[in-house]
Amino acid sequence: MNTLAEKYPQDIKRILAKYPPEQKRSAIMPLLFLAQRETGQVSPEAVQEIASMLAVSTTEITSVMGFYTLFHDHPGGRYRLQVCHDLSCALNGAETFLEQLCRHLGIEEGQTTSDGLFTIEAVPCLAACDKGPVFQLQGDGEIVYYEKQTLESAKALLETLRQRAAGEVTP
Amino acid sequence: MPKLVNLTINHTRVTVPEGTLIVDAAKEAGINIPVFCYHPKMEPVGMCRMCLVDVARPVIDRATGQPVLEADGAPKLSFGPKLETACTTPVSEGMLVVEDSPKVTAARKDILEFLLTSHPLDCPICDKGGECPLQNLTLGYGPTESRFDFADKLHHAKRVPLGELIFLDRERCIQCGRCVRFQEKIAGDPVIGFYQRGRKLEIQTQTQPGFDSIFSGNTSDICPVGALTTADFRFGARPWEMEAHPSICAQCAVGCNIVFNTKREARSEGGMAIKRVMPRQNEAVNEIWLCDKGRFGYHYLQSGERLTRPMIRQNGELVPVSWETATDTIVERLKTGRSGLTVLAGGRLANEDLFNLKRLADAEHGKTLFYTHMGGGDLTGQVGLAPGSNLATLGKGDAVLVVASDLHEEAPIWWLRLKQAAARGASLVVLNPRATRLDDFAAISQRYHYGRVMDALAALFAGEAGQVLSQAANLVIFFGSEGLGVDGSQAVAQACANLLIRTGHTGRPNNGLVGVWSEPNAQGAWELGYRPAKNLTAELAEAHVTLVAGADPAGDDPALAETLQQSEFLVVADLFMTETAKRANVVLPALPYSEREGSFTSGERRVQRFTAALPPREKAHTEAMIAARVAARLGLKIEESLPVVFEKLAAETPAFTGLSFDRLAETHPQKPLLSREDLYYSGTAYENTAGLGCTLALTGSPAEAEPVTPELPAPVENALLAVPITRLYDRSSTLVHSSSILGQRMIGAEVWLNPQDAAERGLSAGAEIEIHLKSANWPVKVVINADVPAGAALLPRSVGIPAFELAALEI
Ligand code: SF4
Ligand code: SF4
Ligand code: FES
Ligand code: FES
Repeated sequence: MNTLAEKYPQDIKRILAKYPPEQKRSAIMPLLFLAQRETGQVSPEAVQEIASMLAVSTTEITSVMGFYTLFHDHPGGRYRLQVCHDLSCALNGAETFLEQLCRHLGIEEGQTTSDGLFTIEAVPCLAACDKGPVFQLQGDGEIVYYEKQTLESAKALLETLRQRAAGEVTP
Repeated sequence: MPKLVNLTINHTRVTVPEGTLIVDAAKEAGINIPVFCYHPKMEPVGMCRMCLVDVARPVIDRATGQPVLEADGAPKLSFGPKLETACTTPVSEGMLVVEDSPKVTAARKDILEFLLTSHPLDCPICDKGGECPLQNLTLGYGPTESRFDFADKLHHAKRVPLGELIFLDRERCIQCGRCVRFQEKIAGDPVIGFYQRGRKLEIQTQTQPGFDSIFSGNTSDICPVGALTTADFRFGARPWEMEAHPSICAQCAVGCNIVFNTKREARSEGGMAIKRVMPRQNEAVNEIWLCDKGRFGYHYLQSGERLTRPMIRQNGELVPVSWETATDTIVERLKTGRSGLTVLAGGRLANEDLFNLKRLADAEHGKTLFYTHMGGGDLTGQVGLAPGSNLATLGKGDAVLVVASDLHEEAPIWWLRLKQAAARGASLVVLNPRATRLDDFAAISQRYHYGRVMDALAALFAGEAGQVLSQAANLVIFFGSEGLGVDGSQAVAQACANLLIRTGHTGRPNNGLVGVWSEPNAQGAWELGYRPAKNLTAELAEAHVTLVAGADPAGDDPALAETLQQSEFLVVADLFMTETAKRANVVLPALPYSEREGSFTSGERRVQRFTAALPPREKAHTEAMIAARVAARLGLKIEESLPVVFEKLAAETPAFTGLSFDRLAETHPQKPLLSREDLYYSGTAYENTAGLGCTLALTGSPAEAEPVTPELPAPVENALLAVPITRLYDRSSTLVHSSSILGQRMIGAEVWLNPQDAAERGLSAGAEIEIHLKSANWPVKVVINADVPAGAALLPRSVGIPAFELAALEI
């Protein structure tokens, strides 16, 4: 089993250097991002490792993971589309949008397509309340926002992503 | 003195110190603002919104900076646009708080309606039902009906074991965060936390074992609903069915104030039984907290293995007899020409027992010996804490030294109070041979090699720490017995006493020496003149009639067992058939302290009274009564009634002058003001109506003396140094005879080694090995711990291995 320290020594160093030693718990989030970079989820081993690296309890790490919809402790698709379904977005038609998107992919909210490409999740406010329907996309290491979405714009994106994934060399 | 602020709450004028929160100011004025997330012992977070009130402040003219006046000359007040949380808003001059207006009432109603949307409302089977803030506040302020669609109710797991001690009911949790904040801020164990958000939010733990904290039980007191319940009390009784009997925890020398909740029940054959132990507020002792040993370790008191009848040895067998026969047998023996009574008593006995036994021994030309593994109590009697002391008032400018003790394990509530003292700015100096959990809060923490404590103390006093300690406004020194026997700890106590005397830190409140004893009344035994024998084996071998009470020397040490086996005549008074009792000529069933009244003297020298929680269940008697009965048969008069015994004790013992059971029962208002009426404010801890206890006076004028340092054991090649340590969940009779509740956490016969020492000997963690100590072999399990210094082999006390001071140990 590869530990984070073995895999990403440089990144860890860079992240830790950003915070004063007595506040190294501030590095929880960047380290969690690092941990889920490759597989899209944080393993229990990684949680342990981050906890001991930052001298905080594992409970604290999982609390942070649980609070943010950004972190995942269970496997999902190659891409995760997280659609806001909070009040402002709902008024802007987010619920219908979410339903259509799911129907288009033939899955329910929270599920992953059978080809393993897409997971659709409903999440609370993404802080783009005036631009709903909105979703954030995770899967290529970054988080990208897609605002004022329609089923058409989303379909186009899914197609692009599909092609991008097909172009990936599968080891 | 902080500045005072005047304000009006409803129609009541209130004056409180600046910085006081509205909710606490109201409480002072007798107005209870309902809260859920706010707890007077923790920083406010304003999470639940239950405490919303309407607040008006004087209008200030911007140009002049003067208050604007109404036509009638009264200051013009202006209400804010929204309601404010009383738990996060500090008072200000001229403020008007309205908490009984329709607007506030409506807000409360809404908050409760929200909280109840997915609450299971299973009060009839909820442990909290009857003492539940949510129940009470709903009744007081809630809506009578819910507009929420019943089918939309969320359902969550209802039996989530956070560990083996605490269960979570996810549906009942109202997400107030009290439990999480308590664990992080007060207990210093952030081992539970929120997971997920909104309606998915749940309390989680990731530790092994789950909810790994020795203070976990307190969360069930402060949880404002029945979301956190203890494995011990779950479904045990309804709160209103139980009686509340004030008592004192007897598991260590802190002397936490408790209540035994008792109930008549079928399971106890129609008799009364203790159902739970609850904290009782004493801000000078335990505030409103208990450690889990105190809360869950009471089962020994009603164990089925308790002795029920007196027994005497006939033809080699112990056979049950009446009290008359047992007493006669003892009296006859005492009357034979070669009489002389040696009393060997432990620190579990109450003051009244110790006093009466001493009177009996004195009358019988006998002697009293204290059974202890730690010395120095004669010094804590002279330079101990004076009346008026309260660790909660130590702060900036004060200092505390802790030496040779792992307080977190040995006296959890002292640990907690010193942690808080350090947070208030007191300088904490810790001198221990290995890392302990107090180090994190220490201003200075130093280490020494086992056996070198006296040199280390001398060096510490001579260095920077010495400056800090000498110059402190107030100085308290806690000394323990890690790696030390009676003589070693006596020497440490003497060195510490010398420092206190030399630097003028004696004879006044918040100054002095505290012994970290392992028994509830060890300090009392010292104060009453009990002293350890210089050579216990010799004393016991010479004794004609030996009476052992509240101690099990034979169980602790096979050498003593051997000696006791040969006793001329051995009488044992105890709760259980101990190794010592097995060797006795007469065995007397003693009454547990839960079935009688009496008093203990805590390590802080506070004498505190306990009352009978249950009627005496067996044909047992107090040791005080046993002494009185024997005395009566010998034609002597020793009082039987415990209050009278205590009066007599107080009259004859200078430190106790003026004390009586009535004095011990006095109380005065304590902050935070808590009562069972408004459980939502601070939880289900009991208010103290039965007495705060009294700290003993200091008598005599202490003088410095040269400490006598005991010799170290001769080094043996390849041997490790056996080091006695004290662990919380040990194997003393109080835990061994408790139910299995703490079973998983109890230690066994084990030896703690440093990783390198273990590796050199080819030992891995968990290995079952034999150690050679004091010319005998002992089976133990290996525990590998990086905090153990090289060359040391730590042996927990009370597991039956005779490690009482440093000794050579071979593997
Ligand atoms: S378990 Fe109790 S104390 Fe903890 S957050 Fe829930 S309601 Fe509050
Ligand atoms: S700290 Fe000591 S006295 Fe207090 S509850 Fe724990 S064992 Fe009992
Ligand atoms: S409500 Fe959707 S982003 Fe805020
Ligand atoms: S917000 Fe004030 S008590 Fe919760």
